[in-house]
Amino acid sequence: MSIDEVQAKMTSVQTESKPAAKEKYGYFLGCVMPAKMPWAEKATILVSKHLGLDFDYMKETLCCVRPGVWKAMNPDWWLTLTSQNLANAEKQGIILVDSCNGCWISHFECLEELKQEPEKMAMINKNLSKIGMKLEGSVKVKHFLEVLYEDVGIEKIKANVKRPLNLRIMRHLGCHARKKGDEFLPRYFDEILKAIGVEIIDTPYDKTCCGLLLYFGDPDSAIFERVGRKMKTAMDLGVDAYAIICSGCYDQFERGVKVMKEEQGVTLEVPIVHFSELLALAFGYKPEDFGMEYCRPIPTTRLIEKFKEGK
Amino acid sequence: MSDETKIKSWKRLLDSGKGITEHKQGEESKEYPWRKSFRPAAPDIAKPSLKRDFEVGLVYYVGDDVEQDRALCGLEKKPPTAHTFKDALDKKRALLEGTGIMKELGFDKKKGKFEY
Repeated sequence: MSIDEVQAKMTSVQTESKPAAKEKYGYFLGCVMPAKMPWAEKATILVSKHLGLDFDYMKETLCCVRPGVWKAMNPDWWLTLTSQNLANAEKQGIILVDSCNGCWISHFECLEELKQEPEKMAMINKNLSKIGMKLEGSVKVKHFLEVLYEDVGIEKIKANVKRPLNLRIMRHLGCHARKKGDEFLPRYFDEILKAIGVEIIDTPYDKTCCGLLLYFGDPDSAIFERVGRKMKTAMDLGVDAYAIICSGCYDQFERGVKVMKEEQGVTLEVPIVHFSELLALAFGYKPEDFGMEYCRPIPTTRLIEKFKEGK
Repeated sequence: MSDETKIKSWKRLLDSGKGITEHKQGEESKEYPWRKSFRPAAPDIAKPSLKRDFEVGLVYYVGDDVEQDRALCGLEKKPPTAHTFKDALDKKRALLEGTGIMKELGFDKKKGKFEY
């Protein structure tokens, strides 16, 4: 086989939907996404199907069982309650996909811990047996970024871009997504954003926590020193949007925007958008296809105008 | 953490957590504080979200306003979560009861309160 033939084959492998024929993905919505981010939910479904993934909702989902609350109260309670979601996914024969970092870390760490510690696996199965359920541990948990980057591939994502986005954005990945180092989800996030034509503006606050859990104990720092500082920087830099992927982080950003407006009289103007919305726009969907203009603490009007005018 | 924050919504959240906490310690515990019955504490600030979790299986309700927003975005009004599949919620509640977690937390589901 010539070098040209090898390269052509590699390109073909990268641009084809690698997992579509085999893997069945179940999207775990979590608590925030269906209640506060319907535009992101819709965009994620659109994008996933557009890329040829066998991607649908995971059914019968509960709260991921927030480790920041439950693990802090009692690690065994957290393992037990989280394993109900894992057992459900296993029964449904799907790969459990999270786009919320909080949900992902809860499922991922719970499964890892149970696989490594048989006595804990026995403990949760004893508990699950009370409700007629069982966890074998064969289920897979993946972050949505992992699915896009590793299973779909960056070349296929690029191949699907109909309209490169001429947007300058600040981005917030979130703490839990950094668990396995910068070469994993942080790189995937940036590379996918660059693949759709986005210009990423780096700032000193990119790795700062959103303050979601800090809010419980130190609300002033969580709002003013985290969300406030990030969003004011976005305004100062005049970026078009603030891109996030984690629903938990979005919850905190939304809270911060409301607190600053209602209680401080500060109006923040850079819209917070979900990563999937940017992909949907780049793939040729219109903002109205996923309700981009609705139910937001900061309107997306200016962003949508810029997108439609193709500036 | 003192309550001297600038943020009113945080104070309301904390008050809400305190409001769903019922202290049922006997007279003896006032005289002898070390004889107070102990529960692994769910912090007051986290109690409102825990209560919602016990009631619907998730941290946020999906009411008429949310259903309307979802429809505007082209989604089913009810998400395919425990908001729709009550069986999942029933199982979660049975798990919480069967493992003694509810009792340990002191949550009385009829009153919707945490008792201490």
